[in-house]
Amino acid sequence: MAGGNRTRARGVPAVMDSTAELTSDTADLLAADLTDGFTELVRLHASAVHAFLLRISGSPTVADDLGQDTFLKAYTALRDYPPERRRALRPRAWLLVIAANTWRNHVRTAARHPVAAAPVEESCVALSDGSPGPEERAANALDRDVLTTALLELPEQQRIAVVLRHVIGMSYAEAAQVLDCPVGTVKAQVSRGLARLREVVGPAAVTWQEARGA
Amino acid sequence: MSDERFPDEGEGADADASASGPAGDLERALASLMTPAPLGFAAGVLRAAGVAPERYDTYTEVATAAGVLYVAHRGGAVTGAALASAAGGATGFEEAHRGRAGRSAIPAAAVPAGLRTAVRTGRFAKLPLDLGPVQARMAAVLTAVRAVPRGQLRPASWVAREAGLTGPGAVLEVLAANPVQVLVPSYRVTDEDGLPYDLGHGAAAGDALRRAEAVDVERVVELARQRTVFLGSDTTHIYCHPTCAHARRITPRHQVPFRSAGQARLAGYRPCKSCRPAA
Repeated sequence: MAGGNRTRARGVPAVMDSTAELTSDTADLLAADLTDGFTELVRLHASAVHAFLLRISGSPTVADDLGQDTFLKAYTALRDYPPERRRALRPRAWLLVIAANTWRNHVRTAARHPVAAAPVEESCVALSDGSPGPEERAANALDRDVLTTALLELPEQQRIAVVLRHVIGMSYAEAAQVLDCPVGTVKAQVSRGLARLREVVGPAAVTWQEARGA
Repeated sequence: MSDERFPDEGEGADADASASGPAGDLERALASLMTPAPLGFAAGVLRAAGVAPERYDTYTEVATAAGVLYVAHRGGAVTGAALASAAGGATGFEEAHRGRAGRSAIPAAAVPAGLRTAVRTGRFAKLPLDLGPVQARMAAVLTAVRAVPRGQLRPASWVAREAGLTGPGAVLEVLAANPVQVLVPSYRVTDEDGLPYDLGHGAAAGDALRRAEAVDVERVVELARQRTVFLGSDTTHIYCHPTCAHARRITPRHQVPFRSAGQARLAGYRPCKSCRPAA
């Protein structure tokens, strides 16, 4: 494997459309007009990148900062790509590889410069898009807190796999591309992650019912 | 009370089976963690990347009597607007805006100056619009519709005349594809009997918007049933559109209904100079 093909150090991967899957409109747009394509990239995938980092890190502030870094790295990389390479991109998977690398770099740096961890919070300020109203959100708040905390307690690989598959809603094939490992490995990590989550969340759900009921 | 969180949890023996199913409760709970990015995140990214502000539009939500209105803008001018109910949510609005304006609409908190006041007062005529290069016909229709005062209604033929067009057909075509819902108040445009068309935004939204402007909706229907198109005053011998501020001041005793401008003219009445019922 040629060294130039591995750009992990810069956090910018080479996720290309090698299969028969259709290339996206956004990728075509990126090839035709980089700035216009980038605004679409941000519009379409800002939420996926942000949600991924939020669920991986548990911190809205970290998600904001690393999310911005992710897109800036993407923009810088795209400038250097020839149009045919931009056209072959699968934008979401490509962005999430950058996001995952940015997160790993952040963890490594943070381990060298420890600071107090930010508390887990919900970021609620967003345009309403059929998302649950205040009441529904209150009813869900308890599970969400338990679930987000339980997610953070998973080993990192399992956590990333579970978030990619079940929060972002990627296929196993896409998630495998992001994690750069075989599909079977992703399936195993997701399965183990879910089992762990069930152990934590299951009993908690019973406790809430008892507390509320009778 | 188990149902809200984990709908199948309370069903005892099935709990394990459903939990391991392809779309179990845990999976659904995880999917609900896919929350939209906070307002301003995407716009912050574009700013940090140094993308010139004229390359994209931002949009915001404004509350109206007909629910949420998405308003896209750029450089202080409105570039598009649609009711959430008609647009199919934020995603539908973003896609439609991209298709029409050719630029991405990015959610952000900023509101163009004067927008909130315009929505509150129902005065839209001076709100800056930037629709790019549009057909002259469309621009003329939108300008004419914007000139219909708050709380008043005008037939499509009136809009056509004000816009310098020959017939109302072109007016309806433009209003069906109104790129600036509510802010170009097409809910104030009616057919020749006085009943609203409500093209694009729908009758329910139109009714809510008209009621919020104190249009007497029941009376509009009643006048249409009587085929009363204009109201004259037998003290001034001036006739108006029935929703004109001057017409609303005529006491019932002095109101004279007309079915056409010709009928009013024959009776010796002249058209009102502010609502211009005839050329």
